[in-house]
Amino acid sequence: MTPTTHKAAGLQTADPQLAELAKKARDGDRPAFERLIDRYQGDIHRMIYYRVRVRMDAEDLTQDVFVRAYRSISRLREPERFRSWLFTIAVNRVNDYLRKKRIRSIFKSSDEGIEIQPVTTDIQSRPEALQQVLKEDFWRHVEGISKKLSKMEREVFMLRFMDNLNINEIAQIVKKSESTVKTHLYRALVKFKKEKGLRQFLQEDLT
Amino acid sequence: MSNHNPDALHLAEEQILQAVIEEAGLSGLQRQHLAECSQCRSNKERIENELTHMRQLAERFAPEPLRRVTLTPDRIRSPILFRRFAFGIAAAAAAIIVVWAAFLTQNRQSGNVGNLAQNMVEAERLMTEVNGLVENALPPVYLDIVGEVRLSQDEDFIDFLIPDDGGAPRISASAKKGSILC
Repeated sequence: MTPTTHKAAGLQTADPQLAELAKKARDGDRPAFERLIDRYQGDIHRMIYYRVRVRMDAEDLTQDVFVRAYRSISRLREPERFRSWLFTIAVNRVNDYLRKKRIRSIFKSSDEGIEIQPVTTDIQSRPEALQQVLKEDFWRHVEGISKKLSKMEREVFMLRFMDNLNINEIAQIVKKSESTVKTHLYRALVKFKKEKGLRQFLQEDLT
Repeated sequence: MSNHNPDALHLAEEQILQAVIEEAGLSGLQRQHLAECSQCRSNKERIENELTHMRQLAERFAPEPLRRVTLTPDRIRSPILFRRFAFGIAAAAAAIIVVWAAFLTQNRQSGNVGNLAQNMVEAERLMTEVNGLVENALPPVYLDIVGEVRLSQDEDFIDFLIPDDGGAPRISASAKKGSILC
């Protein structure tokens, strides 16, 4: 079975069907958990990829997140909050990965661990090469804004505007109050507004 | 923003950003202005559109997962189960080693018995040969020359040298009276 892609907007766990699936999975129903995997694998994989930017690592981390979730789902108290609970596991796992990567980078040369992209020589003759350039440009801009945000600002900004979670879910994930989340979001948006390069890129692509 | 006239004072940048985060965070007057003022609404929507487009591009430029997440038994094995499994494996390995060692020892012992029997046979053969040499040091081919081959068998020759007296003891009469034998 191939993983299905769902837009995050339609994935609130408040959906009674999903909450029911989460409840069944919590009670030991493995097929119910597998249906939840089908539903959320795409979102979790993307969420991880946005942060680690290495495809194979994102695959492995996604696998690990679901295995961890399966192991501890019996402790899930509110099945209707399954999505934020799953994202909490993913955020923790990604932070753990990035921490280890930083430690490893001390002992490695600077060019190790970077995914090598194919060299694009003739953009005119390869339409997909143009897409590749656009893609690289986009991620470079995203990385640019990410570096200007504090850790918490970056986390809430990405959860809200890239992973499309609502403020209540974000508050649960980062274990802060909603007003704290809004404050960090506001600061992040101020910096986003000043980020001319990314905004220009987005506006040009929109038109 | 001081009055209800949409053209008079527009929402400040921070209020626009606040509206992007959550419109409910604005005051009633600010919300009303936002609803009526096309310029402020446009400012807010431009930022929202940029953020939405950023999310859409991120989705488009992120690779799809190559494989489906699987919950195979080895991946979901709990640490306790894993420890039990490891203990079982260790116990089985220990049992195999013990059995193998016992088998090896037994083989060595049976091998020793076989060797001992063979050594005894060889020793006996050697002793027979040694005993033969003690009896007759010369090889059999030389025994005919020296005439010793029938030495123990020629009873006539012995009788000639020492005649038989009819079975009486070779003791003189005087000896019977207590004299010393010669």
